[in-house]
Amino acid sequence: MSVPNEENLSSHSQLSSHFFLDLLDSIIVDVASECHRVARLGLDSNLEEEDEELKLSAQARVRVADPSNSNEANGKYVVDIFGQTHPPVANEIFDCMNCGRSIMAGRFAPHLEKCMGKGRKARLKVTRSSTAAQNRYSRGSPSPGSTYSPYSNYSTNSMNRLANGTSTFAGEEHSNGTLES
Amino acid sequence: MKPKASVNRPPTPDVVENVPEREPTLQELINIKLIETGEKERLMELLRERLVDCGWKDEMETLCRAVVKKKGRNNVTVDELVHVITPKGRVSIPDSVKAELLQRIRTFLVSAAL
Repeated sequence: MSVPNEENLSSHSQLSSHFFLDLLDSIIVDVASECHRVARLGLDSNLEEEDEELKLSAQARVRVADPSNSNEANGKYVVDIFGQTHPPVANEIFDCMNCGRSIMAGRFAPHLEKCMGKGRKARLKVTRSSTAAQNRYSRGSPSPGSTYSPYSNYSTNSMNRLANGTSTFAGEEHSNGTLES
Repeated sequence: MKPKASVNRPPTPDVVENVPEREPTLQELINIKLIETGEKERLMELLRERLVDCGWKDEMETLCRAVVKKKGRNNVTVDELVHVITPKGRVSIPDSVKAELLQRIRTFLVSAAL
């Protein structure tokens, strides 16, 4: 019993490997004929361009990973993608629009953080908040100006009445009507 | 009108009786069985999928492209490409793919033998 089984197993293994190689050869011929067709018809020009781009990207990656290049980047001036050199900290000087001091562009953000009392460190400084409170108190001083406007309205009304009094006779009748009501 | 004469066909020659029929081998029988049941197509598609998944096909295409560049696109033939990539292709089959396909073929053989 066991002997025929072994023979069957070995023959099955041989047959299966034989058929597998047949299938594989068919697929290899398919791949070769497809590549041959692409080559003869010139359909692989885009592939060549892609290969070139892949090479360039690989070179760029290597150049970025190179420590000597990074040392150059850490140097005094930085070279941007347009080939122009820039100082590590922007050195243009202009006046702060809040306090009027002249500030370097590279240090403007921390200056604003202190000048306007906003940002990450504003909580730690009480002086800035007290300054803001003083500003609010000083803003309260225009309140007498608000009382001035009804006075001006009253004076405007009285002037209108005088003008009506100086008008013609018909105007007097209107004034009489007003007095009656 | 003059009647048309019918075409006289020559008599059919007798079948030669001495041709011995060749018995097909076991491989040929199983191959015919594979084709008839559609299993061969299924195995072919499965193998093609597996080889594309594992990157084998891309490697073969790269090899073919190298050969084309070497010989010039107008001087290369399919036979040359097949001759170059067949040994490398056979060697570079992943073991998992080969084991899977062999298992399926063996299963088919067992079912066919029953």
